[in-house]
Amino acid sequence: MSATILVKQAWTQKDIRDSLEVKGKPKGRVAGGYIADLAALKKVILLCTSCTHKFNPGRVGFVREKEFPVCQGTCDGCSTYDTRCSWYLWEEGYHLVRSTASERRALQKSREKRILQGQL
Amino acid sequence: MQYLGTLSGSSPVIRKYKSSAAMITGIVVLATAADASGQMSTSTTTSFAEALGLHIDLGLTRAVGGPTAYTTTQATIASDGEGIGSVIINPDQILRAHMVTGATGTSITSDTIVTSASNGLTAVGGTSVASPDMNEGMLWYLSGSNVGQSRKITSTSSVTATMIVPFAANAVGDTYCYAAQQIGIRGWTMNTALDRIRVDVATTTACRCAVIGLELNGTTDSYSQLVLTDMAWNPIGA
Repeated sequence: MSATILVKQAWTQKDIRDSLEVKGKPKGRVAGGYIADLAALKKVILLCTSCTHKFNPGRVGFVREKEFPVCQGTCDGCSTYDTRCSWYLWEEGYHLVRSTASERRALQKSREKRILQGQL
Repeated sequence: MQYLGTLSGSSPVIRKYKSSAAMITGIVVLATAADASGQMSTSTTTSFAEALGLHIDLGLTRAVGGPTAYTTTQATIASDGEGIGSVIINPDQILRAHMVTGATGTSITSDTIVTSASNGLTAVGGTSVASPDMNEGMLWYLSGSNVGQSRKITSTSSVTATMIVPFAANAVGDTYCYAAQQIGIRGWTMNTALDRIRVDVATTTACRCAVIGLELNGTTDSYSQLVLTDMAWNPIGA
């Protein structure tokens, strides 16, 4: 057995936190089953360009984020860190965490209308 | 709170971290202290110190019956897995927070002009703007000749808010709102659910984040836009 040389490292807080990050699906899990579990729990699902076409968000009540179509993260399908992932959110809770331009546009129109009516 | 975008215009970076407690959707999460069970914990009503970002997992939100799963029970973890949550971690992320009053997060309280001011430099209402102090905050009208107009409050005394830039003359019965919110201000207090910002509390150094924009609408649909200034990744603004 060969000797192992341990080299002292100056880990930063970022290194430590990055190393602790959840790495994706557990060993031995099939991607489809793991993603089905995430969908059942209404969690955010990240899929890389190779995996995203295999997922049908509408069937599990999810929507693909369209205003920011690309995000950086670890693919829930193949556990690869990708800078061009798609992200999917549970449709019913979407507006709890996302403010979209269309929503703000509607609010602005409503505001203008209410001002014209004299009561904001 | 909602994710609105980033200052740099870059794509969101989403990481999944282990929970140290039951988590809810749309709140700022913090790096955990030493010896805590996971990697992130909830913020508090008065602290965003060492923030990791915005928790966006929609799993079992309050709206549908409870927090996302967190457990230390071995059998549960064996069957269901550990509690994890997705977090947008960009240090320059812009968040959008609903303005509310009170710990439970009710609508902003509006007030009514009881003494008119022809010079438009004061708003004299029925409730105190000096305690809690709304000085340096914003005042905007909901009705009357100034409907939709807003000004910065430059001093307060009892029920009178004073501005330097005048409104048009106001009249008794005009309604208005005020908020302890201003561009660049770095101190907030959150409601108990941690997902909305209280504007009835004087500016403090509580939750460290800077206001970059205000959407001043009615009592139920006004918002602040902010960036976090005390993040675990970039604690420069702390």
